[in-house]
Amino acid sequence: MKYKVTNIFLAIFSYTWLIAASFVVLVPVIWMISAAFTRGNLLTSVPLIPDPSRWSLSNFEFIFTYRSNPASQMADFPGAFLRTLQIAILTTVGVTFFSVITGFAFARLRFKGKKFMLLTMMVLQMFPSFMGMVALFLLFRTFGILNKPNYLALIYIAGSIPYNTFLVRGFMRNIPKSLDESAAIDGASPLQTLRLILFPLIIPIIGFLAVGAFMGPWLDFILQARFLQPENITVSVWLFRTTDPFNTLFYNPLRFMAGALLIAIPIMVLQFFMQKYLVYGLTSGAEKG
Amino acid sequence: MDKKPRFDQKLLAIFTKPFRVLKEVLADIKKHPDAFKSALLSVFIMGAGQFRNKQKSKGAIFLGLFLLVVLVEVLTGGYIYALDEIARFPADSGGTVYFIRDYGGFFSYGLWGLFTLGQVVGQTIYRGQFVETFNKNIPWLTADNSVTLLGRGLIVFVIALVIFGFYVYNIVDAYRTRKQINAGAEVETGIKYFKRLWNDMFPYIILIPSLVMIMFFTLVPFLFSFLLAFTNYTYRLQIPNVLIRWVGFDTFRLIVGDAGWFNMFLGVLSWTFIYAIMSSVTVYLLGLFQAIIIESKFVKVKKLWRTILIVPWAIPAMISLMVFRNVFDTNGLANQLLYATDMMRPVSTFLYNIGLQGRLDNPIFWLTANYNGNLAKFVVLIVNLWLGAPYFMMLITGVLTTLPKDLYEAASIDGATRFQQFKSITMPLILRATLPAIVMTFTFNFNNFGAIFFLTGGGPAFAREVIPQSMRIMGGVPGQTDILISWIYNLSFASNAQLYNIASVYSILIFLFIGSISVFNLARSKGLWEED
Repeated sequence: MKYKVTNIFLAIFSYTWLIAASFVVLVPVIWMISAAFTRGNLLTSVPLIPDPSRWSLSNFEFIFTYRSNPASQMADFPGAFLRTLQIAILTTVGVTFFSVITGFAFARLRFKGKKFMLLTMMVLQMFPSFMGMVALFLLFRTFGILNKPNYLALIYIAGSIPYNTFLVRGFMRNIPKSLDESAAIDGASPLQTLRLILFPLIIPIIGFLAVGAFMGPWLDFILQARFLQPENITVSVWLFRTTDPFNTLFYNPLRFMAGALLIAIPIMVLQFFMQKYLVYGLTSGAEKG
Repeated sequence: MDKKPRFDQKLLAIFTKPFRVLKEVLADIKKHPDAFKSALLSVFIMGAGQFRNKQKSKGAIFLGLFLLVVLVEVLTGGYIYALDEIARFPADSGGTVYFIRDYGGFFSYGLWGLFTLGQVVGQTIYRGQFVETFNKNIPWLTADNSVTLLGRGLIVFVIALVIFGFYVYNIVDAYRTRKQINAGAEVETGIKYFKRLWNDMFPYIILIPSLVMIMFFTLVPFLFSFLLAFTNYTYRLQIPNVLIRWVGFDTFRLIVGDAGWFNMFLGVLSWTFIYAIMSSVTVYLLGLFQAIIIESKFVKVKKLWRTILIVPWAIPAMISLMVFRNVFDTNGLANQLLYATDMMRPVSTFLYNIGLQGRLDNPIFWLTANYNGNLAKFVVLIVNLWLGAPYFMMLITGVLTTLPKDLYEAASIDGATRFQQFKSITMPLILRATLPAIVMTFTFNFNNFGAIFFLTGGGPAFAREVIPQSMRIMGGVPGQTDILISWIYNLSFASNAQLYNIASVYSILIFLFIGSISVFNLARSKGLWEED
């Protein structure tokens, strides 16, 4: 009898907790959505209980119709979006390509200094990356590629190689080596083995890397804020400017909410569709560290 | 007793190894004077030895590289003007003409800059002429900018190192090949050689692009900021009218020796640790708790709850953080909710009574009032909990679904209670599976720049009387919620700080700490060391 009472108590407690937690999780999100549809620029004018009948599209209208001009200090949102998209695509392609190649080399090939190289790579990336920014800035200036958004992809690619190599390597080691060996007996070169035998098998980890690489540029701020002039800024800088109270000309938290929504939704959709790859990444994170 | 001498011997062997190798090489050269001739040719002109060995295509490649280096050096330098100009603008009395500075090309000028950090500053007279910040027509009348010189120098240094590697290889190759030819081996033809090279060097060849990128975008910046720690580079130096100097450990001494500065640093450091530990622990516990609740037999429609509770994980952290900055704005959701539910006064009183709030405010200044440092820290942790718990919830849910059922059956047959089962089966298994993730979360949070920068921007500021004198003069005051990494950002980029040398010292500190943790973590993981 007593056992049953405990059970009922536990069930009530569980549901209470879950409802409360859902409330805490969802309220800020709903508030954000409702703010995005509120006219004006004051947080106080956002109603606590969303009222879709009074929603206005003015923030979105501004985002899509505002065009940057030489006099303004702020790029337009569509431009920022396209620039970020370009960086993201370049980064994705580069990261996938290089991670697979280096991961393959470290997983399957024998060469001198392998462990040393892997360890050095892993340790080097522990250095606070933006401390190197002064140097990267000089580097970009030396080669005349400052203020050119696409070249930022180089930094993202290089920065992601060490950890991704580690992941791909870990994944490949779980694939039996006999596959490679039989391919080699049939006369396949290492690159052919990689392309024809291993590549189809490592699609899950590639999916994980690709999603991560694609999302990176949308969510990185410092590099883009430091390397790009106002007319060339990206989405994250755009968003930060609209929510920075010191930036009196462009500060508008409601506009920020609208812009944030426009970025968050595609990323969430992407994550949703790529879920099985992401879950793989999670578990591999748990096993391999 | 047995081990020590062996270790000494090892050490001795390591130190004497170069001499032994040198001795062997010299002996070998004595035996093969003809091969030495080939090597000697390659010492002076890359590829010449290979031509002597009748390996034309190989020689051509080395020669091509050699000519390229020479060409770049000559074309980017001003050697053709040198004689004429030195005659027209002789050195000042008592001074010298810095030949490499004035006429050196890409390589020599770069290395010169790295080692000297510049010799001639702006607004002075050099060789009878006035040195400007930038002189378009006469390069040597542009003042030396130490920072640029250091950066360029490092780039050149790395490139030169690679070329030097080829140079050494070219000499060794000329020698070895000649030796083999003299021993009667066949001369390897070009195509055959390249095939062999491709096969032998295959791993390196496919790694080259990645390594080059890491070299430029990770290694060079790393070395650069590492070196900055040993200079006196701050914004106060009127570059290029002043040169940066190597000051050794002066910066280290300053930040430890100045009591006010050191106290501030200790404050930031301890908050960094508290933040990193607390944020990882709370996130883990909440994730664990929710995973257990959802997976328990009392809860139906598990998928729905999981989907709802996972929402924060799906929203990009940067965006959530900026949204929360607005939530905890004075006019934001938090205060509005408190007003709407008539809870403002009790909550404010409560926060005041437990010491999180410095004054009894209405509305609450969550992130801005300088007497609310503790409250802001609390908010930072709460927001981090909101952001991070879903990750562990998912992770632990995943582990829970893979737990072996038979273990539990066996346990209940043996009469273990549910709590005992949880304590001795579930928890150890979960812990073992998630330990690396905990360590990773800790190191991630230790350097979680975004969690501070996008949410509080480091604020609230310290009250004026708390700020030590040295910081009032030099700038670089941290905010109350600043962790080391976000403080470093402010030290290097805030317009009133730009104390690059100090920022570098702290970066090295973080690097040593986080680096050793991750090396430890890696060394422990079997994956890295076991060879197939």
